[in-house]
Amino acid sequence: MQLNLLDQDRLDGKLGKAMQFAMETIVTAAHIDQAEALIDISFAHIDACFYNGRAHLDFVNYMLEYGATLAVPSWTNSGLVALNDLSIRDPLTSREMDEARQLMQAYVKLGCNPVWTCAPYQLPGRPELGAHIVGSESNAVSFYNSVIGARTNKYGDYLDVCAAITGRVPFCKLHRDEGRAAEILYDVSKIPQSIRDNDLFYHLLGHAIGRKCGHRVPAIMGLSANCNEDDLKAISAAGSSSGSVPLFHAIGITPEAPTLESAFQNNPIQQTIKLNLDDLRQARNELGTNSDQVLAGIALGTPHFSYTEFERLINLLGRRCIAPGLVFYLTTSRHVLRQVEQQGWANVLEQAGVKIITDTCTYFSPAVNGLCGKIMTNSAKWAYYAPGMLPVEVLIGSLAECVESAVTGQVTLDPWEGL
Amino acid sequence: MSIDIEARVLIAGEASGTALVLDDTLSFWGGFNPGNGEIIDVHHPQYQQFVGGRILCIAESRGSAGTPGGIAETLRNGSGPLAFVLGERDVNIGIGTLVANRLYDLEIPVLEVSTAIMKQLHSGDRLEINRQGIISITNRS
Repeated sequence: MQLNLLDQDRLDGKLGKAMQFAMETIVTAAHIDQAEALIDISFAHIDACFYNGRAHLDFVNYMLEYGATLAVPSWTNSGLVALNDLSIRDPLTSREMDEARQLMQAYVKLGCNPVWTCAPYQLPGRPELGAHIVGSESNAVSFYNSVIGARTNKYGDYLDVCAAITGRVPFCKLHRDEGRAAEILYDVSKIPQSIRDNDLFYHLLGHAIGRKCGHRVPAIMGLSANCNEDDLKAISAAGSSSGSVPLFHAIGITPEAPTLESAFQNNPIQQTIKLNLDDLRQARNELGTNSDQVLAGIALGTPHFSYTEFERLINLLGRRCIAPGLVFYLTTSRHVLRQVEQQGWANVLEQAGVKIITDTCTYFSPAVNGLCGKIMTNSAKWAYYAPGMLPVEVLIGSLAECVESAVTGQVTLDPWEGL
Repeated sequence: MSIDIEARVLIAGEASGTALVLDDTLSFWGGFNPGNGEIIDVHHPQYQQFVGGRILCIAESRGSAGTPGGIAETLRNGSGPLAFVLGERDVNIGIGTLVANRLYDLEIPVLEVSTAIMKQLHSGDRLEINRQGIISITNRS
């Protein structure tokens, strides 16, 4: 690979040791992926602020010690702990809690915008269609690529930071036009409209596609024209949990897919799969079962709850309270929480028994306090990951089903056309 | 009997040791304990096995952006593998290893081989890796 003069200077250490380390990392990634060039990025979403042992801290401290700065606006993903309430993850040792906090603060010191969210696309200041960016958290990578039409590969820890420091990434895969063409078509138009209008449908659909499509870019035909960004967030999160779907196209809805031909970039459609109720039923079964065990709690907000999801929750809950003895956790970003506070909704929810958490999430270990037993969630991502990491049994339901179950204290499911 | 194969060098280094071949991909965040090198994904065929001190042969990592951190942390605390032999060009394992090599002055190599070669590797084989990417394989039998 030919480097330009500035990149060569960076690699040779003429711009300091931090820049040299960052550039060596970018060049190594390009070598591994056999990219022939590097390109500029305009934004980065940083995952390396999520504590996973001492090495994370050593890395960012090295960068700080040798004077690293950021070349592009960089926003932080959720962290392991909530900075404003370290006590919500009790099982952490005080050393781990302290290092997790230090790590998050180190990224603020490095110059990141501390938004602490896995749904940065809900905040003002989105990248534009076609912008080259760095996404790291899997649902955000998929949402940025699919729904916004920005271009990012899935960047893991360290590479995200090195890209933000250098402002450069290897020009390969989803950064290139040809890497973005749809390769398989999923047709959902035979599924009854009433089901396609239910928010749970999008979680089940994302899960089913993630299971089936492998490394191919999927296109989806037959989604309602009125499906919203919360629905598309659900597909993004579910598809990148059960599988690896960093980009999907929804025909007539997402920006690179006004038509089938544009989604497939005029290539012939090699394979079409018609999804039916059985596929949704199977997805629902894979994401938990309704056993006899007593309901212990509700977990919402994976990925972080949006303003419009709060609005729906407030309407569904009305003036009712969560049943005594249940835990009800809801995770969101500080930005959305401020909006919700301005409406007076946060207060209503807290008084009804909903515990709102920012900066982090609830689906991974160590468990947020009190989260054990049978938990209901509206999130396919939560349902996919939590049972492997937490002492929970999980059941997935629509937002309305979660709310009714929370209020009555027992699992309450809608009669949902055979699902 | 010993045979030599040529692998693509993702991260150069020397290593020799015993192979541990994983029968499935693995997420090094969530499916792996970087504190002690144990595979903790309950669905994984090599569940509860330890990667420490072995040459880890794996098709590729899976899932989360957290994999490089899991790799760097297990290498930092000495519970990690001596080398990686991959079946795919895996940036996450490569970058996690590169960062650990730089921060902790290690020389853990990462190599890529074809799927056909990968199938010839078995847990217990003795492997020797040089900086040019030549892997000498001595079968355990």
